[in-house]
Amino acid sequence: MKQYNDLPSKLMLYPAILFMVIGMLVGVYIAFNAFVIPDYFSGEYMHFGRVRPMHVHHVALLWLLSANIGLLYFVVPRLCGVPLWSSKMAYFSAGFWWAGLVPGVYAFPFGYTSGWEYAELAMWVGIWSPKLLFTVGWVLFVVNIFATIFSRKYQQMYVSLWYTMGTMIWTTFTVLLGFYGLDFLPGGISRVNAGFFYVHNLVGLVFTPMGVATSYYFIPKVSRLPLYSHRLSMVGFWSIAFVYPWVGAHHIIHGPVPQWLQTISIIFSVWLIIPVWAVVTNFFATLKGHWNKYSESVSIRFLMMGNVFYLLTTLQGSMQALRNVNEITSKTDWIPGHAHMALLGTFTYFAIGGIYHVIQVITGKPLWSKSLASWHFTLTLIGSMLFFMSLFVGGYLQGLQWASWASGASYLEFQRALATLPYLDTVADVWVWWLIRGIGGVFLLFAALLFAINVFNTIVLKASDESNTPEPTAA
Amino acid sequence: MSNDNKFLYKLDKSAVLTAIGAFLLFFCAVVATLIAPQLVESSWVNPTSPYQQQMYEVADAHLYVSNQGTDDAKDLQLVYHLKQGFTLHAFTENELVRIVAPPDLERYITRFGESNLKLTSDLLLLRRPEKSDTFDAVASAENLKRGLQQSSGSGLKLDYQIYELYRPPGNEVFSVARTDGVIEDWVDEEYTILDPEVRQSWHADPGVVYVSNPVEYRVRNFMFGTDEAWEADSDGVPIASLEELQGPKYGFLSRKELVELGEDVYREEGCVYCHTDQTRTLIQDVVLNGSDSEPAPPSTASEYVYNRVSFPGTRRIGPDLSRVGVKRPSRDWHKAHFWSPKTESPGSIMPRFQHFFDDDPRGTSRSPVGVPNYRFEAIYQYLMTKGTRITAPTRAWWLGKDPVDTKAVIEGRVVPDGV
Repeated sequence: MKQYNDLPSKLMLYPAILFMVIGMLVGVYIAFNAFVIPDYFSGEYMHFGRVRPMHVHHVALLWLLSANIGLLYFVVPRLCGVPLWSSKMAYFSAGFWWAGLVPGVYAFPFGYTSGWEYAELAMWVGIWSPKLLFTVGWVLFVVNIFATIFSRKYQQMYVSLWYTMGTMIWTTFTVLLGFYGLDFLPGGISRVNAGFFYVHNLVGLVFTPMGVATSYYFIPKVSRLPLYSHRLSMVGFWSIAFVYPWVGAHHIIHGPVPQWLQTISIIFSVWLIIPVWAVVTNFFATLKGHWNKYSESVSIRFLMMGNVFYLLTTLQGSMQALRNVNEITSKTDWIPGHAHMALLGTFTYFAIGGIYHVIQVITGKPLWSKSLASWHFTLTLIGSMLFFMSLFVGGYLQGLQWASWASGASYLEFQRALATLPYLDTVADVWVWWLIRGIGGVFLLFAALLFAINVFNTIVLKASDESNTPEPTAA
Repeated sequence: MSNDNKFLYKLDKSAVLTAIGAFLLFFCAVVATLIAPQLVESSWVNPTSPYQQQMYEVADAHLYVSNQGTDDAKDLQLVYHLKQGFTLHAFTENELVRIVAPPDLERYITRFGESNLKLTSDLLLLRRPEKSDTFDAVASAENLKRGLQQSSGSGLKLDYQIYELYRPPGNEVFSVARTDGVIEDWVDEEYTILDPEVRQSWHADPGVVYVSNPVEYRVRNFMFGTDEAWEADSDGVPIASLEELQGPKYGFLSRKELVELGEDVYREEGCVYCHTDQTRTLIQDVVLNGSDSEPAPPSTASEYVYNRVSFPGTRRIGPDLSRVGVKRPSRDWHKAHFWSPKTESPGSIMPRFQHFFDDDPRGTSRSPVGVPNYRFEAIYQYLMTKGTRITAPTRAWWLGKDPVDTKAVIEGRVVPDGV
């Protein structure tokens, strides 16, 4: 049984879990203070505009991206049959990573932001550069992973390794463009278009391949069942490599960009069903005939439910790119519903599923409490359903209300419709859905705490459940 | 067929081929969706109109604003920075306002009843008539007034305001700005620039911004208790230089600086997370942003070319702002709204932005809100650029002169281009 150095994984995973809890706490704060009891805590540093990027960067970068990196540090050496190319480089990478991200994210309430959505990390906070440090940390990770793959023992590459290589390239170019490249373009829509190219690649060519790469490893590994089809996984990989980067402009459909660019983004957005379908089918078919594993293993439960959300998210995404659907759903609460179903419902579930397996291997101990893990899953699922459903319904209804201003034949009739239903009335009508969303968020936060406690106890306590004396972690 | 298979098996085993393949596919998308539009779409780099271009490149830099002249910033000071050979000036008479001038300056005046507007970039100003060695404006004004009052047959004794046109010393001067600080005077028909040659490239545009009837801006310095204070006073002293104008005592900022600062405030406060800045090509958007009688034209890419960061936005928790300069033009409305949005807009969930205001330290301010500081003026000026600069005021969409004729499009009477 080969021994791998898992300290790089730990250096990324352990802080990531802590930041997941903090990020969800910030999320619950803004769900209530911005929407349910608006501006209860009032002030320059407390309002939604300053605090929202803090929530987003906690859950997207400090939790999800970091957790995926930790999982890749685990998965890639094992798939290559060789240890990680340089452990020391991994330690430095983690150092730069946290040193850049943490100050950068905690500077948001003080106005240190670039202003571009999901690329808000500031270039300078005083003499400290969050962006540059983060970039160095990322590049060291890329070099390490590529070197490991190029020096691998098993020649034929498992699908996880293609997705990993893909994301090394895609993330690097996406980050270079979104973090540094925008200022080199002419001002105005040129930058906006590049900004949306960045935003969508973040989801589709960064989080997606990382999540899919790790799940392709964990589903067969934890269930001890062979992957359904290697060939299908090839289809999935190459189709995503082709289709994904063209969809950026779907964030600005009906907006100030030319129709041909919008149409390209819509066509490719619909084609996205192909790569996702390949992955979803592969995952479901692997478990076929062995669904008892779903109830036996919390890992499998999270991975499979993530798979369900993955399918739902992409079907939904492809539909909401169509011009007439977009007219109703765009700019409403439907959009954060979709975003959370992707990053939380799909990729966070995938990552948690992986972590429940990994934590046992890297600590050398069984999970501290299987029942707590089951509670984690159930409460997370309840919270997720409340969260997503309330936003989809509330957002859709609001979109329909806005569309009521377009009913009629003359400008006079349109204005009359607007006079009957002023804008602020449509805002008031969403309040109840925001309340349900906030309650869903509380469930999610509480469940995340159970997860953190479970992982913490697995790390620090002795293997046996009856023992009371904590022992130092086996490295 | 077997050749294909061989390649696929090779691909399966080769990290290098996989990496190259992924990169090439990515690069195709970059070319098609990022690079191609730059080359094809001229609206991504060109301004919407000469008015927008002149506003951003010329007019913004020569209007200065200060709120430090009064104890509660109620009377905002708006001042033009006029420069010989650069800014365009017009001297127009109307029914009650007349101008007298020495013979060599007569030709610059657009007399009452003349339809052709005369402009010049020579630095000239108006003042109350004075008697000088070369020209007795006082007597000239008296004669003119008597003549007008005699010849007015209706028997009404109108009070005429008579100015003297004169050439000030020096190459730059500050004048009282009588616009609202948002829309500039503009002319695009029936005008002549009297300069012997075209002195600035923008003077040759199909329309120009100009300053109408400039009068020198003067201040009076005095002591308020132990504090130094100042206020605008036509009998006071002129401000000596741009450095003094922008210095700590008077604290003037140009509209260009304010608009850029406003963009920074918009960015730092995260306004984009709740507000969009795009009127979409949808009926509900043009109706929501329109006036009672005119729909707002949909946003075009040209509107954003002068922004360093653009915020079209992905969420509309609060209303769209792309036409807010026309929908909510009142500075007082914005003061009240930023101070307490729920009070000004019942039902609003927008947070309070009271850090845009300084508290009046004596607690006796006449203002019902805090005293707005430069951050307020910055965000106000930035918001006022939205929707007001698409076309010149003579072709304003809110006056029913929409060049795109949005109303005809949404009522189905016309099919728009590009569809």
